[in-house]
Amino acid sequence: MATEARNGSALLEVGGVVKRFGGIRAVDGADFEVGEGSITALIGPNGAGKTTLFNSITGFQRADSGSARLGGEEILRLPAYAIARRGMVRTFQITRALAAMPVIDNMMLAAGGQPGERFRNLIVRPAAVRRHEREVRARAEELLEVFDLGERAGAYAGTLSGGQRKLLELARALMTQPRLLLLDEPMAGINPTLGRRLLDHMQRLRGEQGMTFLFIEHDMEVVMNHSDRVVVMAEGRVIAAGVPQQVREDPAVVDAYLGGAA
Amino acid sequence: MSAPPLAFTLEAFTNVGFWSGVLVIAGIYAVVALGLQLNVGYTGIVNFGQAGFMAIGGYSMAILVLEAGFSFWLALPAAVLITMAFGVLIGLPSLRLRADYFAIVTLAMAEVVRLTAQNARGLTGGNKGLYCEFEGVNQTCFDDSWRSVSDSILNFVDGFWADPEPLLPLLLVVWATVAIGVVGLGYLQGTPWGRVLRAIREDEDATRALGKNTLLYKLQSLAISALLGAFAGFFLALFLATIHPDDYEPIVTFFAFGVLILGGLASYRGVVVGAVLLWALLEGTRFVELPISEEKTAALRFAIVGVVLIGLMAFRPQGMFGKREEMVLGD
Repeated sequence: MATEARNGSALLEVGGVVKRFGGIRAVDGADFEVGEGSITALIGPNGAGKTTLFNSITGFQRADSGSARLGGEEILRLPAYAIARRGMVRTFQITRALAAMPVIDNMMLAAGGQPGERFRNLIVRPAAVRRHEREVRARAEELLEVFDLGERAGAYAGTLSGGQRKLLELARALMTQPRLLLLDEPMAGINPTLGRRLLDHMQRLRGEQGMTFLFIEHDMEVVMNHSDRVVVMAEGRVIAAGVPQQVREDPAVVDAYLGGAA
Repeated sequence: MSAPPLAFTLEAFTNVGFWSGVLVIAGIYAVVALGLQLNVGYTGIVNFGQAGFMAIGGYSMAILVLEAGFSFWLALPAAVLITMAFGVLIGLPSLRLRADYFAIVTLAMAEVVRLTAQNARGLTGGNKGLYCEFEGVNQTCFDDSWRSVSDSILNFVDGFWADPEPLLPLLLVVWATVAIGVVGLGYLQGTPWGRVLRAIREDEDATRALGKNTLLYKLQSLAISALLGAFAGFFLALFLATIHPDDYEPIVTFFAFGVLILGGLASYRGVVVGAVLLWALLEGTRFVELPISEEKTAALRFAIVGVVLIGLMAFRPQGMFGKREEMVLGD
């Protein structure tokens, strides 16, 4: 896979991000890039700061310093919702299905730029609200079919199986029409068949729509076979980055995984 | 004491004036609890400050009429805006807190409002309350304009129904407000806007991750609840023909929560039924004659309401109209 940062164009550039919790530097100056249209894996031993880094660049935790540019625009100081609206959308390690809402509502909620989400429009432009709502519903139903959730559209999201919730969360994130999807351990806790389908969806979306993925993963087989580029973190720092083969043979990476990172 | 145990006096069913009063109170509590339903049942923000919004609404209206010389009809929308602005002001710093801390802040806010009203005697009349101002022989009361409207409604009704119940006009206005509230809020709940509120109730972080400015929605939810609180404050002031700090104690908010629990979470119809049931129970038990002293009977009335609420929690925790699935699934 020779898609390493096509023409060197980076969609996301993270530079020197630091996140401290008291005296502990959970993220200690992380630098890396995510190429446009790439599938980039973020790996590292437990406690390396991967999820904290995700939280910092998506606005869920305020980074102490550093920068994160999405398509050239600085986003590190923006609130979480504003970052999501700019096209960088995340999922969570533990799935966050909106349990007491129907599956279809989970999907429709996620669509961006809905006139009916502004209170004023409900009174001033009810017709536009209804029209847009029909479009959103059609798109949601279509996506649910793609993810084999069409039959569960009317069910409460809380009644789905763990694997179905993972699929719903991915489908829901896609409703926002993101440029870059950040997936925190998408394969965790689901059976291999579903995991396989999730990976196929990623490859397909990248192929068909040029979508970019950054995902945290522990399964080395998945990382080596399904990503174009791997970023390795240890103790809050990025210690290696490159194509899978190159990273696998990097002594620093081997060290980190054997617990000897200095 | 000679009455047989557990007898109802005939008055229990024939006292129109009494039951009209109960229905007015039930309607006022329905309005208050509609706001709570929006906050607690549909947005997941626990608002313990409704009594404070009622007080702000009532006092603002009365002070604008009596002190600032506003007409009653101008004072109403002005007081609504003041109350909503107050809600936003309280919400801005505190809605960032976790649900339980927000609850504490709103409870404290309501108490600060009440204690301020009790002590800012120059403006609020303190413990004398607010009703009329006297200038020589002239007397201005905050509800003068309402009284004249109320009287003309009664005169009109008198044409085909002799001796109408004096509370009828207020009863109509209160319950019209309840009806508008139920229909309006029901409509909002079905819109994309209402969908965002429910998503916040389910998981605020997940909702932010999907690009929704959740703080803005929570503020809107609180502002609408404050608006309903202001209306309830007006109605209570008109009903009691006075505004007194004691009428805005935290117990008012807790009774409204009782209404909410009876009716069930995430149902606006439930709120209405809950309000009528709670007050029918609370006031209807006045007529139960027991071979014990009146003070004991009075205490027993509250005990009965308590037993009903406990029984409901045990056998139907979702309330009368709440959806059990939503309760079980919602974490």
